[in-house]
Amino acid sequence: MSARNAAAGGGDRVGGELADVLVEDKQSDSVSLPSPMTPASAAGMSLSMEMPRKRKGSVDNQDTKSASMDMDIEDLEERHNGSDGEDQHVKMKCFREPHSQIEKRRRDKMNNLIDKLSAMIPTCNPMSRKLDKLTVLRMAVQHLKSLKGSASSFSEANYKPSFLPNEDLKHLILKAADGFLFVVGCDRGKIVFVSESVTKILNYSRAELIGQSLFDYIHPKDMGKVKEQLSASELYPRERLIDAKTGLQVQADLPVGAARLCTGARRSFFCRMKINKICVKVEEKEFQASTSKKKESQKYCTVHCTGYMRSWPTSQLGAEGEGDADKQDSSHFSCLVAVGRVHSHSTAQVNGEVRVKPTEFITRYAMDGKFTFVDQRATTILGYLPQELLGTSCYEYFHQDDLPHLADRHRKVLRSKEKIETNCYKFKTKSGSFVTLQSQWFSFVNPWTKEVEYLVSTNTVISYDNSRTCRSGSKSEQSSNSKTSEDGKKSLPVIPGISTTTGAMIYAGSIGTQIANELLDSNRMNSSPSSGSVSPFSLSQDKCPHNQISNNVPNGEATDMEIAGKSSSEEDAQGATFSGAESLMGENPQMDLDSVVGPGLGSLSSDEAAMAVIMSLLETDTNLGDAVDFEEMHWSL
Amino acid sequence: MTADKEKRRAISREAARKRRRVESEVFEDLSRLLPLQQSVRDHLDKPSVIRLTLSYIRMHTLLTGKTASKSQASHKVKCGQTTEGQLVRHELNGGRGEEEEKVTDDADASEEINMYLRILEGFLMVLSSEGDMIYLSGNVSKYMGLTQAELMGHNIFEFSHPCDHEEIRNNLRVTAEEVWSGEKRDFVMRIKSALTHRGRSPNLKSATWKVLHCQGRAKVCVAPSSVSCLLLTCQPLPLSHTLLSKHTFTSQHSMDMRFTYCDQRMTLLLGYSTEELLGRSIYDLCHTLDTNCLTKNHFNLCIKSQSVSGRYRMLVRGGGYVWVESHSAVIPSVRSSKSRSGANQPLCILCVTYVLSGVEEPSLQLSLDQTIHRYPS
Repeated sequence: MSARNAAAGGGDRVGGELADVLVEDKQSDSVSLPSPMTPASAAGMSLSMEMPRKRKGSVDNQDTKSASMDMDIEDLEERHNGSDGEDQHVKMKCFREPHSQIEKRRRDKMNNLIDKLSAMIPTCNPMSRKLDKLTVLRMAVQHLKSLKGSASSFSEANYKPSFLPNEDLKHLILKAADGFLFVVGCDRGKIVFVSESVTKILNYSRAELIGQSLFDYIHPKDMGKVKEQLSASELYPRERLIDAKTGLQVQADLPVGAARLCTGARRSFFCRMKINKICVKVEEKEFQASTSKKKESQKYCTVHCTGYMRSWPTSQLGAEGEGDADKQDSSHFSCLVAVGRVHSHSTAQVNGEVRVKPTEFITRYAMDGKFTFVDQRATTILGYLPQELLGTSCYEYFHQDDLPHLADRHRKVLRSKEKIETNCYKFKTKSGSFVTLQSQWFSFVNPWTKEVEYLVSTNTVISYDNSRTCRSGSKSEQSSNSKTSEDGKKSLPVIPGISTTTGAMIYAGSIGTQIANELLDSNRMNSSPSSGSVSPFSLSQDKCPHNQISNNVPNGEATDMEIAGKSSSEEDAQGATFSGAESLMGENPQMDLDSVVGPGLGSLSSDEAAMAVIMSLLETDTNLGDAVDFEEMHWSL
Repeated sequence: MTADKEKRRAISREAARKRRRVESEVFEDLSRLLPLQQSVRDHLDKPSVIRLTLSYIRMHTLLTGKTASKSQASHKVKCGQTTEGQLVRHELNGGRGEEEEKVTDDADASEEINMYLRILEGFLMVLSSEGDMIYLSGNVSKYMGLTQAELMGHNIFEFSHPCDHEEIRNNLRVTAEEVWSGEKRDFVMRIKSALTHRGRSPNLKSATWKVLHCQGRAKVCVAPSSVSCLLLTCQPLPLSHTLLSKHTFTSQHSMDMRFTYCDQRMTLLLGYSTEELLGRSIYDLCHTLDTNCLTKNHFNLCIKSQSVSGRYRMLVRGGGYVWVESHSAVIPSVRSSKSRSGANQPLCILCVTYVLSGVEEPSLQLSLDQTIHRYPS
């Protein structure tokens, strides 16, 4: 079987069964045809072959192929030259196997192309049997002839064709760019030209826009920006350039006036453009209604305008010229030629409207549970302004029945990459009542450092205005969680893992802090595996209800806690349990961290001893509302 | 070898040559029918001829087929004729007579195309649902170093970075709902470029990766046959920006997006002083709802070295927020005394941020940073 198709220029050689026939054919081909291994075909070949080498992590066989491909070319050249060194012999031996595979691949590729071609040609399709290559090609010729129809012949010497008719290309560009072309005069912003596609984007017809001033259609706050872009005034700052190598700004000292208007000076800016609300076909009265512009209902979309300045000699423009208004040069009409694109992520921006459900709001917590960000919707739901919540610990607002569960979730979310759902829990509102929320937490991890930066909580309101709180009496329908996580100590919410020492006693802020510290410590511990000391927070211990924690609270936290203490004492502390503790803190601002949290705990060597301490504390503090005598709870190292 | 064998050999060789000649002729016929310049045509190999033929046919189908989109009226384009095109020329040429224009029709249209492409600073790509680059505009050579004829018909997966393949595949998929709404596409991918600083490199082994920002939409034709493709404009993300607006600022970050530098405009626009920001993470400064957007941007940056964020909100120091968009790149952080080379050079992120809106809801304090009165500095 001889080589079926030695492609012109060897771009796609198909090997024959017999090696020497192969060689001969190739030799004859490369001599007889006018375009041997051309750049294009070489490119074509090497493109798919050589470049894989450059890829990191590229598949192995591709590398082999590329290697053998190169060898192939050299191989054949060697043969062609008739040299017969031992090297070549070795090469031939080594690459005979992959060589035929390469040939096979080339054949397959060609066949694949032919198949695709036959699929695209209408006359080929109905054929039930597979057509041979030549026939397909001949049909393709016929098909192309029919497609071209009356279009001019392509083989004229001076014809500089683009592959697509220009009209179509233009249309495609505008469709892909999802934009519109516009030309505005620099001076007054008169819209000289705008393409049809503007209708799709801004919903104004071309007729409405042409001749109008661009500024009529721009958001009032952006007018200054656009003016600056169009203007050639010397008052405006010089061009600022960023040098890619240094990342620093470079002041370009160009003579301002001339440079800004010189043809080709680029412009790129974003501005908000008005969207016409009505459809064009609707009747008049609606049209009139919309022309009375109410700003709050006016929709805008953000358009990215890129283009360049252009100067048209007015002689060419006839009626379009603005000879009178041009400051720069009366014989030139300066304008901006630009394309406005709407980015795919920008939807019509309506002030204040957020797409998420109205009974949802989002908060961000630092790792220890302090609010660092509160979405404005929280105000309508919780009654607090964001600033009232910011800096305070979320635990101060959780109902005490929910604390264990939420603490557990908190702990979990710090260690998990997934979203953690909480059960329903109660959150104290400003008025003192509770709303029932259900939240989804996840820890936001910096993609680069892989460290937790903060926690994001999406909170959904389940029901408003629950029963007034009373620590002992409250049995809202959703607080069953508190029962499950405890061992019968309902009246004293024991939060697994939290040392309930001293006046901290379920001091809300400390819960969060301690949980955060657990994580830090475990990270520290985990990084030094040889440490023999208690590492209470390896994950397996999480389930254990009474864990010891080490209270190495870094000093940085101290300030937070104190301040939190202060801030919470400012708040309206009614009803709920923790306000008692909080106000205590408020009364004793001088208390430093160590005495509050109990520095001794961390250094205790045995779990049981520490546990005993905790238990004793719990037992002494039966009534959280009462003042606790801190002098008794005095720990020393 | 016996004489008999040799004779048979000769016959088969002759037959093969004849077949090849015939085939070559057909190929030549085919190539003559393609809208190509002669110089290009001469250098085509056979598979390329087929590839280009396929492209031609496919584009024809695409342009004349009926689309499934809602707003169909303006989209039907017959090859070679649009009233819109004529109107455009009419306007731009200051209203010359139509008869005159017909003579220079094509030249004008061509100039317009050039204008568009120049403005867009990119090239057009039409991708089939399998990833074949059915069409590329002529200026692709400026960006990729390879000509239109060399590239058209090849598959995008041959030219793009393997790590981006999955993302590309996801973008190629057109779901059922998208058929009707003409879904948009916006993603960043890395593509091989044969360009070096000195222009086109003849040696493809030195191909580098170029980061392209691809934006466009999916287009589906339902008749005569169901065909879907992506229309994309591909723009290389520029590494140097010309800033002309007061409403943009630059900032530098370490790789975890903590600020290492920001220019004065940031202080003017957002109210934070440079000292306040150094070491702070950008994630602290943005609205929580936009965390996803920023994360994706960050990922893109780390992987592809350049990225365009979508719109997101940055919190203003005294309260409220502004909508911004950032164009970022990873660059080697420069130490003045050290040399440039070496793979171990520390990297940093350079962001150019455009402020899109005014300060929204200035009285709203959403984050800790904005509660300026709470913590005495």
